[in-house]
Amino acid sequence: MQEIISKILTYIFVIIIYLFIYVIIRMIFLDIHTMYRKKSGGFADAYLKLINLRQDLDFPVDESYEVSDNEVIGRGKKCDISIADRYLSTKHSRIFKSSGKFYLEDLESTNGTYLNGEELTDKAVELLDGDKITVGRINFLFVLPSKGE
Amino acid sequence: MKLNKKIITVMSVVCSLFLVTVIYLTYFMLFEAKEISNSTYNQRIWAKEEKVLRGNIFDRNGVVLAESEQTEGRQKRKYPFGKLYAHTIGYNNRTYGKTNLELNFNDYLLKTESVIDVLKRDDSDKSLDKGANLELTFEHEMTKLASSLMEGSNGSVVAINPKTGEVYCMYSNPTFDPNEENLLKNWDELSAREDSAFVSRATQGRYAPGSTFKIVTAATAIESGFGNFSLTDSGSVKIGGHIFNNAGKKSYGNITMHEAIKYSSNVFFTSISQEFSKKSFEYMAKEFHITKKIPFDLDVKWSELDFDAMDNVEIASTAIGQGKLQLTPLNMALVSCAVANNGSIMKPYIVNRAYHEKGNTIYKAKPSVLSSPIKMNTAQQIKEYMISCVKGGTGTRAQVGGITVAGKTGTAENEKKGKTHAWFIGFAPAENPQIAICVMKEYSGSGGGSVCAPIASKIISHAYKTGLISAN
Amino acid sequence: MEKRMLSIKPLFLLITANLLGMLIVIMNKDIQSENIVYLCALMCLINVIAYLVINLCALGDGYLFIIISMLSSIGIIMQTRINSDNGIRQMMLYLAGVFCYFITIIVYKVFHKYWNRLTLVYFGVSILSFILTALLGAVKNGSKNWIIIGGISIQPSEFIRILFVLSLAAVLTNGKFKKNKDQVEDKKMKRLRLGIVAIIAYINAFCLLLQREWGIAVLFFAIYLSYLFIYGDSKLFFSANIFAALSAGFIGVKFMSHIQVRVSTWLDPFADATGKGYQILQSMFAISAGGFAGSGIGHGAPYFIPIVSSDFIFSAICEEMGVLGGIAVLLLYFVLVYRGFKIALSSTNDFNKAVSIGLSVMLGVQTFIIVGGVVKLIPLTGITLPFISYGGSSMITTFIALGILQAISSMKGEVTDEIE
Repeated sequence: MQEIISKILTYIFVIIIYLFIYVIIRMIFLDIHTMYRKKSGGFADAYLKLINLRQDLDFPVDESYEVSDNEVIGRGKKCDISIADRYLSTKHSRIFKSSGKFYLEDLESTNGTYLNGEELTDKAVELLDGDKITVGRINFLFVLPSKGE
Repeated sequence: MKLNKKIITVMSVVCSLFLVTVIYLTYFMLFEAKEISNSTYNQRIWAKEEKVLRGNIFDRNGVVLAESEQTEGRQKRKYPFGKLYAHTIGYNNRTYGKTNLELNFNDYLLKTESVIDVLKRDDSDKSLDKGANLELTFEHEMTKLASSLMEGSNGSVVAINPKTGEVYCMYSNPTFDPNEENLLKNWDELSAREDSAFVSRATQGRYAPGSTFKIVTAATAIESGFGNFSLTDSGSVKIGGHIFNNAGKKSYGNITMHEAIKYSSNVFFTSISQEFSKKSFEYMAKEFHITKKIPFDLDVKWSELDFDAMDNVEIASTAIGQGKLQLTPLNMALVSCAVANNGSIMKPYIVNRAYHEKGNTIYKAKPSVLSSPIKMNTAQQIKEYMISCVKGGTGTRAQVGGITVAGKTGTAENEKKGKTHAWFIGFAPAENPQIAICVMKEYSGSGGGSVCAPIASKIISHAYKTGLISAN
Repeated sequence: MEKRMLSIKPLFLLITANLLGMLIVIMNKDIQSENIVYLCALMCLINVIAYLVINLCALGDGYLFIIISMLSSIGIIMQTRINSDNGIRQMMLYLAGVFCYFITIIVYKVFHKYWNRLTLVYFGVSILSFILTALLGAVKNGSKNWIIIGGISIQPSEFIRILFVLSLAAVLTNGKFKKNKDQVEDKKMKRLRLGIVAIIAYINAFCLLLQREWGIAVLFFAIYLSYLFIYGDSKLFFSANIFAALSAGFIGVKFMSHIQVRVSTWLDPFADATGKGYQILQSMFAISAGGFAGSGIGHGAPYFIPIVSSDFIFSAICEEMGVLGGIAVLLLYFVLVYRGFKIALSSTNDFNKAVSIGLSVMLGVQTFIIVGGVVKLIPLTGITLPFISYGGSSMITTFIALGILQAISSMKGEVTDEIE
């Protein structure tokens, strides 16, 4: 009788330990998840991803930037994407959205804007997922998550 | 960062150590734990067993074959008939562990009544819980008879009810006394013996079956459409450059399968083996469980034979039970069962049921068909031949007054020159077979018809007299 | 500072486990002393207070302490079940451990600037205690590794573990070696640094081998190798060390009878089942007796296992709580080790990073060595199971080690101090 009761209680004891582990792991997971969201990913829409190694650059730059309707990239503090690269003009280039498509345009910068290694002329060019954008010393990857899902 | 990457590598290594431990533990529990915990060094088993009075073992008529007694806080297992059941019931003691039924049915012997029964009982009742008793299919008197008939020679007697698979008798010589004090005393001597008394001939010994195997060859031939095969037997035949002789080079003239079985013609069966395909022979061997495990209450050995790789000479040798073919006496008894039971082998069993003293049965053997190697007609045909073998052929000494016995003798050559194994398989009464039997004497040097058939006769006659079988 | 969510769920489960475990033990054992009830209540109270303090005062990682408490509780329950006196002592050790934990946090944080400069002190104290053990040591379980001071027996090798990690971390991250003009370490300096690390490691390992502390020697070597892998760039040097370890192991197996015995009993414990293989076989029997679900706390037979309360406690857990209970314990260590490495990864101070790597490796490998040993996955070497095994030195040191980790996790913002 006593044996059966303590057996059952032992099972409950072990189950509690597993519950405990589950709760802890879940908390850790949520922690990491929120940290991850804050740091880099989770953009529903298009974003720019830094290709350079950050430690190679002597100025602070984020791992990624969200791209919505109209983003100006430049050294100026008022730019949507403001980066303190000496080789950037105050207003360097612009990414904008028109009828559902993204376009890249050079804002007459000193050192020019490059798309996949080619310098942009005064015309805006459509951006596709996976395009490489170079401004100053920075290389970005343009990521456009497909809408299918 | 490079440093962090390396830290993650180290972390993965350390964490995988945990994973390996978890996997190992699970593996251990699933595959190794059972075997390890059965070790005799495990005091836990004995500690646990001391809490339960081990169940007794009875024969079919209620004769006690093994019992446990509680003396001075320690249990003692007693085997009142000593050496009679050492190879079947086995032994159970702390020094040497458990074997045979004591091992295979250990869980039942120690199984106490259900939780509810225990709950009902008063906690102050300090008497030991009792494990379940086993009721065997053995008939003690028959075993005793077999033992006395086998006195002085090594071999085995197996008797089975072909209709159900109940094993009436399974006795092997040499044997030993499984009672603990005698085992302790004789262990070293027993271990040193050259004829290995610990080996149960019936289930673990494999022997060339000699002419008794012609039953299987005949079955293959009939099933392959060679039932009417006949030839002129001149006493010897040359197959693939090898000459096969009849016993004593006797020639039988123009014979059919009937005479071939009656007089055990090697010429006939080596010749017929060249007619049917290896595949059908191989199939038959498998169906008779010669090359396949026999599920049984005890562990049984079986043979690995590659028929495809055999040449004509080897096939011919196999057809008369020589060559590479080796099988257990239990296996030959089952061959006889197949003929007796219209072509179907019933799964053999020793433990009929396990039950608690208060009467509820917790295990009951159900007769079931093990395999059906041959058709009813084939079985009928072979039965006729076996009847005439006992009536007027090589097996006349197996006759029993009042009932018809069917049988086949065998004398198998082996690695010891002149020391042939003697065999007899058969069943009775032929019209309505209720007992199938296999008698084997190893290295006897005599023919199966002269040394084994008389033993079979006495066993069958005992069964008839005691009412275990009836004339019809 | 990160936002902190205070979840009381794990705390609730911990307290439930504590009370339930104690209930099962008391139910199955005539325990005379009622102290056990008070102590259990005190333990739960300490659990709550410590958890709240760590989480509300932002003392860094919120998971370390609660996992440690769960492990300690399982340990206390098993110890009480085996021997109620030991259980009470283990509870008091737990309380002392928690005290040391918080003292360590405070001390480590307050003096954080000095820890990486004390290499010589760490090393000196280690060597001194080795010498003291050799001179004054008492022999227990075949190893001369105890010092008895004022009636309390102390196992110095337990404490040396922390000193070892601290000394290696200090050498590896010491700014002095970077003192050339580019702040970039040149090759010569790097070699010198690794050379010193190797010398410290080998001297320590050698002293441990003299004391026949195989388990801890292997543990030290694992820590040393991890450091080499992470901080040493030379693959050649790393492989040379592995080769040295392997050949030392090979020579040990070949020529030293003690090691030989351990390996042969591991390979075939049945060969000498009543002698040398006795311990490991009893452990195997215990684990198999428990099955997956266990025999129930209080209904197994752990007293068949020798030294069950320290080295073989894991087998007793497996017997009574089942292999599933054993796996739960392993998972707790797993999460704990993971948190340790996580602290190492997010630490911004070089020295702290190195220390947390060392302590995490120590915790993980130590658990593996003893658990792997008692389940016969690897040869058995006597070493304690952190937080669960009975023993003061082990308990206190492990609490101090984890206290250091906790302190480091609360100093995230710190950057490496440059020494001028």
